[in-house]
Amino acid sequence: MHTRLRLELIIERMAAPRACNIIEDAGLTGYTVLPALSGFGGVTRWSRDSDMSASSDMVVVISIGTNAQVQSALQELERLLASHIGVLSVGEVGVLRSDRF
Amino acid sequence: MDIAVATLLSPIVLFFLLGLAAALLKSQMTIPEAFAKGLAIYLMMSIGLKGGVAISKGGLGWDAGLVMLSAVTLSFLLPVIAYSLLRLTTRLSEVDAAATSAHYGSISIVTFVAAGHAIGAAGLDSSGYLVAVAALMEVPAIISALIIAHRQRQAAEAIAGSDRGELIREVLLNASVVVLLGSLLIGWVSGETGMKAIAPFFVDPFQGVLCLFLLDMGLSAGRGLRNGWRQLGVGTIAFGVYMPLVSAALAASVAWLNAMAPGDAALLITLAASASYIAVPAAMRLALPKAKPSIYLTLSLGITFPFNLILGLPLYIWLARAVSTGTV
Repeated sequence: MHTRLRLELIIERMAAPRACNIIEDAGLTGYTVLPALSGFGGVTRWSRDSDMSASSDMVVVISIGTNAQVQSALQELERLLASHIGVLSVGEVGVLRSDRF
Repeated sequence: MDIAVATLLSPIVLFFLLGLAAALLKSQMTIPEAFAKGLAIYLMMSIGLKGGVAISKGGLGWDAGLVMLSAVTLSFLLPVIAYSLLRLTTRLSEVDAAATSAHYGSISIVTFVAAGHAIGAAGLDSSGYLVAVAALMEVPAIISALIIAHRQRQAAEAIAGSDRGELIREVLLNASVVVLLGSLLIGWVSGETGMKAIAPFFVDPFQGVLCLFLLDMGLSAGRGLRNGWRQLGVGTIAFGVYMPLVSAALAASVAWLNAMAPGDAALLITLAASASYIAVPAAMRLALPKAKPSIYLTLSLGITFPFNLILGLPLYIWLARAVSTGTV
């Protein structure tokens, strides 16, 4: 197994394309976007079925890459999160095929 | 009074109230998200087609053009009034007030559909071009609110990862605008003959589908209220009720100036009094991301939409009749 960093960003759906642009520009080789069902943050509960516009839906963006790639993405993602609702975490993971990440 | 009772006891309002009550009582009932989106597209296609066919029969005159121009002007103006009232009467921040004001200048297509049903029940007719008026009133309020936000230096400054065309695409090519105007054009081109072929799908089941959609709207409004009511102060909740009345009064003046027929006037007044909860929230998340969606969504969907559906529609029909016959 090879060690890489796994970036997990829970962010509002409308801002997800912006996050994906940043991830691509940082040289990360791929990402996956998953829908989030419901949650609670600050003083507000949210759920996918309470917003007809789906504009306040949340998604999870997951990407895996090298330390340099993830650090490069983090700077811009921090700027993005200054404007948009979201939670970012990074952790070490083991990957089988290092040439892919 | 008869119109008020008939509206309140109509299946669409009762299904809305059922959904609202179910959500407030924390029922687990849901309508699948993709199905609800399909219903919304069906309703927009249906009213777009009907409007297009009506235009193909009667054509578009200068009077229709003047009403469209007046409606667009109204949509630009309403956010300015809404913003001023919000800043005067609530503690909302500049950016929250600007984002909320955009919702009150734009329109709710479901309120428009419900108004069409209510004016039919009241024995009034409406012109097909009002569908185009609805589509035209979607966008100006967004531009107006962004100008307000820029003046207050609250607009988004080059947000990381954003691309230049995303907001324009969202504002001008959102589903409501594309489906409404597209269906209107298709109905106009294909005319009554084309409509006959698709009427069993787009005309006959319309009322039933509307009931199903209103049930889902009730669920959404109830859940939105349950989740977001803590974000709203008394002044903000009051705004959700009096702002539609302010907009209705202005639209009634426009209807009077344009000598509109009662059915058309009722639809214009309803459009002005309604608040968006589909097109504008998406645009605001892109353009003013620091504004709190729990405020503007709860207000437009949880307060103003039920108010308009239950109490507003009979009032707007009465107002339309009054300005059209010159008794006000």
